[in-house]
Amino acid sequence: MKPLCLALLSITLGAHAETVAIVGADAWTNAADAPVKNATIVVADGRIASVGAGAPAPPGARVVQAAGKIVTPGLDAAATQIGLVELASAADTDDRAISSGILGAAFDVSLGVDANSLTIQQARAAGVARALVFPGAAGNGIFAGQGARLYLAGRSNIVSQARVALFVTAGGGAAHAAGGSRAAVWGLLRNALEEARQARTGLSPFKPRDQVQNHLELEALKAVLERHVPLAVFANREADIRQAIAIAQDFNVSMVIVGGAEAWRAADGLAAHHVAVIVDPLDELPVNFDSIGARRDNAALLARAGVTFSFLVSGQGIYLSYDVGPALREGAGIAVANGLSYADALRAITQSAGRIWGEPASSKYAMLVPGAPADLVLWDGDPLEPSSAPALVMLGGKEISLQTRQTLLRDRYRPARAPPAPAAR
Amino acid sequence: MMIAAMAWSTVCTAGPPEAAHKHPGASRSREPMTDKRPTLEQPKSQYQPLPRVDTLLTGATLLDGVGGRADDVDVLMRNGVIVAVGRHLQRDGVSVIDARGRWVTPGIIDIHTHYGTYLLPQTAAESTVSDVLENSDPNVADTWIENAVRPTDPAFSRALAGGVTTLQILPGSSALFGGRSVIVKPVPAVTVDQMRFPDAPQGLKMACGANPADSFGGRGRFPNSRQGEIAGVRAAFIEAQRYQDEWDEYLQGHEHKPPHRNLKMDTLVRVLKGEMPVHLHCYRADDISTWMATLAEFGVHIAAVHHATEGYKIAGRLAQGQVCAAVWPDWWGFKREAEDGIPENAAFIDAAGGCAILHSDIPLLGSLLNIEAAKAAAAGRRAGLSIPPERAIRWITSNPAHALSLDSKIGRIAEGMNADIVLWSGDPFSVYSAADLVFIDGAIAFDRHHARTSDFELGRPQKQANP
Repeated sequence: MKPLCLALLSITLGAHAETVAIVGADAWTNAADAPVKNATIVVADGRIASVGAGAPAPPGARVVQAAGKIVTPGLDAAATQIGLVELASAADTDDRAISSGILGAAFDVSLGVDANSLTIQQARAAGVARALVFPGAAGNGIFAGQGARLYLAGRSNIVSQARVALFVTAGGGAAHAAGGSRAAVWGLLRNALEEARQARTGLSPFKPRDQVQNHLELEALKAVLERHVPLAVFANREADIRQAIAIAQDFNVSMVIVGGAEAWRAADGLAAHHVAVIVDPLDELPVNFDSIGARRDNAALLARAGVTFSFLVSGQGIYLSYDVGPALREGAGIAVANGLSYADALRAITQSAGRIWGEPASSKYAMLVPGAPADLVLWDGDPLEPSSAPALVMLGGKEISLQTRQTLLRDRYRPARAPPAPAAR
Repeated sequence: MMIAAMAWSTVCTAGPPEAAHKHPGASRSREPMTDKRPTLEQPKSQYQPLPRVDTLLTGATLLDGVGGRADDVDVLMRNGVIVAVGRHLQRDGVSVIDARGRWVTPGIIDIHTHYGTYLLPQTAAESTVSDVLENSDPNVADTWIENAVRPTDPAFSRALAGGVTTLQILPGSSALFGGRSVIVKPVPAVTVDQMRFPDAPQGLKMACGANPADSFGGRGRFPNSRQGEIAGVRAAFIEAQRYQDEWDEYLQGHEHKPPHRNLKMDTLVRVLKGEMPVHLHCYRADDISTWMATLAEFGVHIAAVHHATEGYKIAGRLAQGQVCAAVWPDWWGFKREAEDGIPENAAFIDAAGGCAILHSDIPLLGSLLNIEAAKAAAAGRRAGLSIPPERAIRWITSNPAHALSLDSKIGRIAEGMNADIVLWSGDPFSVYSAADLVFIDGAIAFDRHHARTSDFELGRPQKQANP
């Protein structure tokens, strides 16, 4: 028995240091607007060792044949709620938002992330390497709380950075919690930032009882004022987007618009003031009066205007937690069908989110270049076609199991026999 | 952000076309005996085909909707009907459209929408009071959804742009008996009668599981459990049987005084007679099985079970019972009864010889049904099934036509069928393709380069080009 155990042990240890060569792929590296054709991607020690056209696989490397198939960096979902909810209809499994209490801007959604959630398991197997999770609209104020970044290479600990943005809910849907008018959102937000500014000076003219913000919230707002984290504003109407831009200017804070159905109409201001937007490429219906200007070439128009953007795909809320990976790719495909370049669309779902949420511009994050973390997906077809799926997912240089509870259900109930011909009617 | 839409379900049934076109109440009295039956007749369609010319599509890749595929094929439409499908058809005197490099399919049929009642844009007002369903009673079989439909809903025009040529509007899913459905064509209209599919039968929406129990139980009313729902369904049909007997007695002259009219029972009697198809909102395999058995006690057949996220677990039973299943490709988890949804659902139902259908339920998906089918087919292929495009297209054409009892008119490209046709820019299952032209009864109802704006969107500054 002993030799066998040792053999298994060595295999296990070997797996960590395994060198893998993916051969013959079209590698979209995010370093250029075209893929490296017939690329050999070598992964060693958790990182990309090399990407070379037609290069030989290193001796001893495990070779993955990928002739003609596309390899991209892992997906990065710019705004999701994976890990925060199991069953959306059951409050005790749903930690997306608060509806009462004193936390407000201090609500830190990272503390509710469940790495064992099926939504995480599914996203990981779907090629999602990273994601931002955001708090949903609170029932009792303008602040939803603070979002967190996830890196799904981990098993038990997937929160890579907590408190990466402070979310504010604006627009018609937020009017009630703000006191009855969307105008109140902006008054309350400006006051909150002003209170935080005064608190930082230590010479606040406000007595604590006069302040709207408690000390917990002032701490969260301080990070915004010091530009450590952006203010992320849910807004769709052009007028609301322009109000947000004005606040970014007046308080010199970093700003991200989430939703942005009418962002194309404010593209000038967004570009001029470096306000990034996370849009839903499937938006085209006037689902509410804030989104009358929704259109599917929103992203293409933003790209043309030089606005930094990424994608979320809501699917009326469902795709924020379930099917995040395929939905994100479908959104990117729809954006391409409506005028966005393929390279820009791929960037929007692999790299842009990290840039928007604070990955340093100098890092090799979400790139297939030597030294970059080996977070990549080999696709069985065009990744922007919703009918495609991952053939191999690698996070931190390790191959990820594609097995999920759903694939086990599939296997349990898989039909035993070949399908009959369509019945004539 | 989740809205009530996820909780919707529909139960509709389509029966044989109704012969009579009297106004509601017209059969009430002083009519021949045979016209005294307890029923209201649905209004006659006021639909008029859009202006049209005889048209020949040439050189297309054709998916015929019933499993066939042909390349380099011509399709001739004359007087709103498909009159020829083949190679090198005579082109004299007809408008010729070069379809080389493009794909042609039957018009898409969406068996499950709430258009015109889940009215876009939605406002805060609709969160408490909505026309999606009259939910004041678990049995609102006396309601007709067509009474609430507003044709200016932009969802109609978006669906048309996505290739939809026929759709069913269903009541919502919080009632056991949700009321009668209506089948329409997404053409410009001011009244629902102008959209109404001629001679298409109304269906009855029913709903199982969490929604009725939550909705009524949550208000301290009946039913508040699954078993209560079954008891409610049985009680209603037992009453309907008695009501039917009373009318039969009267019509046969055994009774002189007609029974007191009951509009809920009128609807259920039509279901008992097999004249009105049942569309059942239901997710779980155990629920679907229980409801099939319960309705069978009364000889009632379910035309389609809607949502059916666990349809794959009882695919054989659905096929055997000839119950269609209208599903999404990928929704799961958003509620307890949807926890076991898998993307292979439609493919597994299809593989068992069943009638798989992709439906939208929400307006967003109504313009993406080709992509929904693409996802569902791809999942099946990865599971080892052979599902070429000509097979998958059935899920959004001939299968829903069958479930709506309209398969003699639509859902298939063949001689004699209504000329409801989509000309796609490419493979309809690619995200990069779009519907270039959509024909309804041989008329161009949608042209990608000259799309018509809905009344709601007309003149809105937000829609106009960047200032």
